[in-house]
This record gives sequence, C-alpha cells and structure tokens, in this order.
Amino acid sequence: MPMQVLINLFIGLLWMFFQNDWSALSFLSGYLFGLCVLFVIRRFLRSKFYLFTLHAVISLFLLFIWEMFISSILVIRKIITPQIRIKPGIVAMETSLEGDIEVTLLALLITLTPGSVVMEVSPDYKILYTHVMDIPELSDAVLRSRNRFEEAIKKVTRK
Amino acid sequence: MSAGHLIELGSVFLILIGTVAGSLSAIGFIRLPDVYNRAHALAKSCTLGVLFVLLGTFLFFLFVERYFSIKLFLGIFFVFLTSPVAAHMTCRAAYRSKVPLAEISVRDDLKEAMSREYNCEQKGGA
Amino acid sequence: MIKVMLYLSTGFVTLSILVSIYRLIKGPSTPERTQALDALGINMIAGMGVFSVILRSTAFFEVILLLGILSFIGTIALAKYMERGVVIERRSSD
Repeated sequence: MPMQVLINLFIGLLWMFFQNDWSALSFLSGYLFGLCVLFVIRRFLRSKFYLFTLHAVISLFLLFIWEMFISSILVIRKIITPQIRIKPGIVAMETSLEGDIEVTLLALLITLTPGSVVMEVSPDYKILYTHVMDIPELSDAVLRSRNRFEEAIKKVTRK
Repeated sequence: MSAGHLIELGSVFLILIGTVAGSLSAIGFIRLPDVYNRAHALAKSCTLGVLFVLLGTFLFFLFVERYFSIKLFLGIFFVFLTSPVAAHMTCRAAYRSKVPLAEISVRDDLKEAMSREYNCEQKGGA
Repeated sequence: MIKVMLYLSTGFVTLSILVSIYRLIKGPSTPERTQALDALGINMIAGMGVFSVILRSTAFFEVILLLGILSFIGTIALAKYMERGVVIERRSSD
C-alpha cells in the first residue's frame, strides 16, 4: 500500500512537469489522474487498491464514534435512574482475530461498546475477558457487536 | 440574527452539553458500586463530554475567529484514542491487585483463568 | 445568553472536578485513586476548553494537548506500578 501511494505521487509530479505549470492545482489534477490509472490497473497490483483500504479505515472510525455515542447515552441513563439495579460480571469472549494490531483494535472497540470494558487478554490472544455492566440485558448485544467489529476490522487488515 | 451568531450559539451549546455529560458521569463516580463499574463511566460518558467540549471549542475558533487549530484537532484525536486504554489498564491493575468485585456481581469467568495461570507459574518456577 | 451558558458550563466542570477529588480522597483502594486522577485530568482538559472560549484566546491549546498526554502517561505508569511493582519492564537477563 505505501508503494501505491508513492506511485500515485510520482504520477502527479510527472503530470505537473508535462503541463509545465508549477501550481497546486495541476498537481491535484495529476493526482486525480493517477488515481484513475491505479484504479484501471488494480487487477495487476499485488495488494488491494488503496482507496478501498482508506474507505474501510474511515468507516471503522465512524463506527468508533457512533458506538461511543450510543454507549455513553446508555451509561448515563443507567447512572441517573433513581435506583441502580445492575448485575455486573466478567464474561469470557472468544475471538477469531490474530496478531497484535487486530486484537488491539478489537479491544478498543469493545471498550467503547455499550456497557463493556475489556479487562484481560489471554496470552495466546484467543480469549478476551470483558467486564459487562448488566449481564441479562447486555451480553447478547455485546456478542452481536463483537461479530460486527470483527467484520469491519478484517476489511481493513486482511487482503 | 445572523448566521455567524447562530454558529457561535451552536458551538457554545455543544460545550454546555459536553460539560453536562461530564458532570453526570461524575455523579456516576459516587453512585456506582465498585472500580470496574466506575471504569464504564470514565471510559465512555466522561470522554464523550470532553469530546463535545473540544469539538465546540474547535468550531467556535474555526467560524468565529477564523482560526483553524491543528493542535486542538490533535488533542481531540489523542483523548479519543487513549481513554479506553487508560480504563483497560486501571481495570487490569485493579483485578491483579485483588480489588474485590461488588457484591451484586453475578458472574466471574476470569477467576478460574487467573488461578490456572497462577498454578502454571508456580509449577514453572519450581 | 452566550455568557450565561459559558459560566454555567464552568459550574458543571467545577462540580465534576470536586466529585473526582472526593473520590481521590475517599477511594478505598489505590486503583480507584488512579481512576479518580484520570477523571480529574480529563475534566481539567474540558475546563481549559471552556476557558479558552471565554477569554477568546488561542494560548491554551498547548495546555490542552500537554494535559491530555501527561494524564494518560501518568495513569499508565501508575497502573503498571500497581500491577508489577515496576514502571518500565525489561526482559529478565539470563
């Protein structure tokens, strides 16, 4: 992927030379042209076209913000009810992701989902121990959102 | 009422919402029973409050003073990224230093895993 | 109107800082005190944001960034210390 960005910058620079016009505008048009070229030859590249990866990263970031919003509203609602009736506990969750980056991202995302904080990761990265705020109400939702996050993270890191 | 005035009012309103969310989560610091539950309030509501405040400040300086501050943007990004990590670390340290869970807790999967790990370490050391 | 809203928000920030200080003094165990320190740092960041809007000055943005970094690093160091008794782990030399 860094190779693709470099090629794209090179095409933009070359375009600027061809135009004999040293301005940001001509560089930008050359960059867009380079994007088109890379999109056409994307079948022959070794890795995925980098705009797709960028799109996946941006959608993952939006998912982050959305989950944070929802979960904090839920936590605030739990706090300001007159009598706190919660059944907290620690739940073990298995994950199919591998490697440092993927597990770290998953742990960050799960910490931001409604009512769950990752407490401990087993040494072989297979099991996440999660503290859930209200087990009867939330454990299904946490499992469902974990599946969604795994999909989104695999789109970013896998080819 | 001009558009600039409206934007100013909107960003100040964002700041107000953020501080209200922050103080509500601070009430949670008093009411929730143990460390692990308070981490929920810290990692989510408090951080959301700060994000709203910083976003309101960012918009205020962008539209009213015409000042785009990359520093503030970096601050927003940093707070957003580090608060779950801090909550995770404090929870982990609390469990490892044997702070008990609240009495209303119903399930603890980590206990047996920890005792298994402890036994392994004992065997490996001997 | 805007002035009133801004002063109201300083009041809310003060309230949450006071609650954090209460938890810092009372909290029965060390992790709770660490958590309260983290909350204190985050609320101070919010207070700095409100102040920079009230004074209409851009001089506090460095303070916001530095407070964020310092409070994060302090929390991590304290948590590491409670967990293992050391802040920076080294590979055991054998």
